[in-house]
Amino acid sequence: MPEGSASFQLAVGDRVVYPNQGVCRVSAIDVKEVAGQKLTFVTMKREEDGAVVMVPQGKVASIGVRKVATAEDVETIFEFLRSDSDKADLDWKQRARTNLDRMTQGGILGLAEVVKGLQVLSELRPLPTKERELYDNARHLLVMEVAAALGTAEVNAEDSIDIVLFPPGRERPKRTAAEFARDDEDLGLDGDLLGLEGDLDLPPDEEAPAEPAEEEPSDEGEEGEAVEGSEDAAPKKRGRPPKAKTEATEGGEAPAPKKRGRPPKPKPEATAAAEGGEAPAPKKRGRPPKPKPPEVEGAAPAAPKKRGRPPKAKPPEGED
Amino acid sequence: MIRVWTLDSFDDKQLAKFNRTLYTAFGVGSEHSGTAEVPAGMSEPLEAEKLLEQVKGIRSYKDDKVLLLTSRKLKERELPSGVAPTPGFARHGKDRAILSISPHKDLETGFKPVSRHALHQLGHLWELHHCLDPRCSMYPPWTPSFPQGEPIFCTFCREKSEQKIRLAKS
Repeated sequence: MPEGSASFQLAVGDRVVYPNQGVCRVSAIDVKEVAGQKLTFVTMKREEDGAVVMVPQGKVASIGVRKVATAEDVETIFEFLRSDSDKADLDWKQRARTNLDRMTQGGILGLAEVVKGLQVLSELRPLPTKERELYDNARHLLVMEVAAALGTAEVNAEDSIDIVLFPPGRERPKRTAAEFARDDEDLGLDGDLLGLEGDLDLPPDEEAPAEPAEEEPSDEGEEGEAVEGSEDAAPKKRGRPPKAKTEATEGGEAPAPKKRGRPPKPKPEATAAAEGGEAPAPKKRGRPPKPKPPEVEGAAPAAPKKRGRPPKAKPPEGED
Repeated sequence: MIRVWTLDSFDDKQLAKFNRTLYTAFGVGSEHSGTAEVPAGMSEPLEAEKLLEQVKGIRSYKDDKVLLLTSRKLKERELPSGVAPTPGFARHGKDRAILSISPHKDLETGFKPVSRHALHQLGHLWELHHCLDPRCSMYPPWTPSFPQGEPIFCTFCREKSEQKIRLAKS
């Protein structure tokens, strides 16, 4: 249920927050006839640039329009931003879905959660472009609302937020993937539910570029930094636990790392030839050559066949 | 156009170099447009917000951004969540910013950090918010690593500032 979805009465001059748009002021409430129906419209003007939006009064609550936060709400936001509780989800799909919900229906706390979550994530690795844009949007909306709630300039509102997020005289900590780990066992997610073998496709700008997938098959991509350190302090990885090692690992040679993707086709002839004797010539692609006619011993070699129309037959000479 | 107005005396060569840095960062012209006086009755440390409102004699065209440069210290701001160190001040989307070169004696000794702060304040004038990238000039300026960085923007902030400049009405 979105915050502030309970029906509330709006009056001209009220300041409201339109989700994903920012602080607006109600400029008019009037009845208009649309397609033969008489509807009451609430006209709101965005304070930032004066853009006007008209919403039917019946839909005001359902689209998440709410009153501007109070000073007490802003204090709560500062407390939340100061705490070290919120960790973003490392699964980008889940994170994107959660952030979208927070932006549209989460209220001012939802905006703060998006900002805090992405800021903490950026301490682990740089944000992809889309999330950087999302962070900027969320920060902009948060700054505008805090400024409206406190009745101060936007730059002061932003500095108030950033003093909490980036305390003066202190550098931001470097995070490890272990700090983002969650208790998946509690949810019963330790098995491979979908049989995906842990192969989740990442968006192209989120995949680690310098990650040798075949050299380190056991590493789970994003958790690359978590490997450093002793075994006891090894951070807990998310997702499916690694498979138990076979006896071969203990006794003899280590098995070759499992390659990802389609397995190569078996080559029976090549294998047999390699075992038995000479290797066959590599198979040529394309149409096979035509079989040559058997050559007669002693006969002159046939003239090369000329291309084009055959010459006309000459009339017989000397028979006048 | 970026117009630098000085509230104290600065070396012309250093000012020219400073303007070149601003030009490189934003891609718009930058020049030293003149000198203005601090309003009477204001003492050091100066209140940045009040000074921006009260300073007289600044001439500029529409869509110009004015940067006031002073060697005097600015007063720290009391905010709801704490005290904000204030090397400079600019309102979002407006046309005036102020920057102090304090604690540096002149532009020459603190050229890089002052330029970085200047980019930061001018960025606010073009509606840029604080950035997550420590190398970017829009990183929060009170962090210890800020003065060591180069006066540059990250890709995101540069593109956003260019877009805002392109959208300028004039």
